[in-house]
Amino acid sequence: MCEFATLESPYSMPVALHGDLDLDLTDPEAQTRSRALNQFLAGVELKAFKIAQAALRHEDDALDAVQDAMLQLARAYAGRPPQEWKPLFYRILENRIRDMQRRRTVRGRVMAWLPVRGEDEGEEPDPIAQAPSPDPQPARRLELEQAMTALERSLGGLPRRQRQAFLLRTLEGMDVAQTALAMGCSEGSVKTHYFRALRALRAELGDFHL
Amino acid sequence: MNPVNEPLTDFERNARVLLEESVSRIDGRTRSRLNQARHAALEAAAAPRRAWRWRSYTLMPAAGVAAALLVTLVLFNREPSVESPVLEGQHAVEDMDLLADSEGLELMDGWDGPFYEWASTENEGNVASDG
Repeated sequence: MCEFATLESPYSMPVALHGDLDLDLTDPEAQTRSRALNQFLAGVELKAFKIAQAALRHEDDALDAVQDAMLQLARAYAGRPPQEWKPLFYRILENRIRDMQRRRTVRGRVMAWLPVRGEDEGEEPDPIAQAPSPDPQPARRLELEQAMTALERSLGGLPRRQRQAFLLRTLEGMDVAQTALAMGCSEGSVKTHYFRALRALRAELGDFHL
Repeated sequence: MNPVNEPLTDFERNARVLLEESVSRIDGRTRSRLNQARHAALEAAAAPRRAWRWRSYTLMPAAGVAAALLVTLVLFNREPSVESPVLEGQHAVEDMDLLADSEGLELMDGWDGPFYEWASTENEGNVASDG
């Protein structure tokens, strides 16, 4: 049983339950901790956004999820040892993503009763987006673009736990123990989810070469 | 089974390259919003909530005791109702009659409060002198 297994949903837990962990910036030690936290968040925010985007497939929702996770970590867990921040942060983020997916499911059921309207309806095409790229290697760029799109699409089709294990390991570079803490499961489960994700992605994408 | 902590296969390496490339292509607007979110989170963590919480937790028992005293005082000082619910119901019916009575409303139009107060005190004075 991992250490954070009891923190089923840190996102939805009242802050007071975690104790007084606010950073008092008049205290030099708290200033150091605040700087360390800033550095940590700056280091994970882009990857966290990508992970949230892969799960939610919506940019604004992904931004909201990352922002909420940052806030929750800073408010409730800033007092914890910095080496615990990463698994905690991703644990909070995953809970937030799951909350948003649940809400979206409910919203989808309600919206199914309303008349359909396309998202891009009435929008003019963006001339900047349509301008030719100044990239000196457009063919290479296009190749990467296509591979990225294919990978992201395949990731989006994976079951939640498999996608989580794959992204935490491959993109965030977390080891099994950290991934287990972040996912709130055993190391054995992480290995199983990761292996299944790899097998599914390989089956869909083949051994793509770059 | 592929042990997760062993060196990455070509597939995993390629996937990592692609994912890191996609991270590096995140646009400036999104980066800026993430940056703002980070600073907001750090500010929120540094906000002086501790003093407020300390005060609220300290005052909570005192406020509870005060509320309990107030409720006790109100309950003990309240005069018991001498009328039965049946009588109260009769008054309600009488009130309805008064409201429905158009003559009563006409009387209210010409309400002469001081006169009735004087008549009432006169009547009380007469009763007292008779007694």
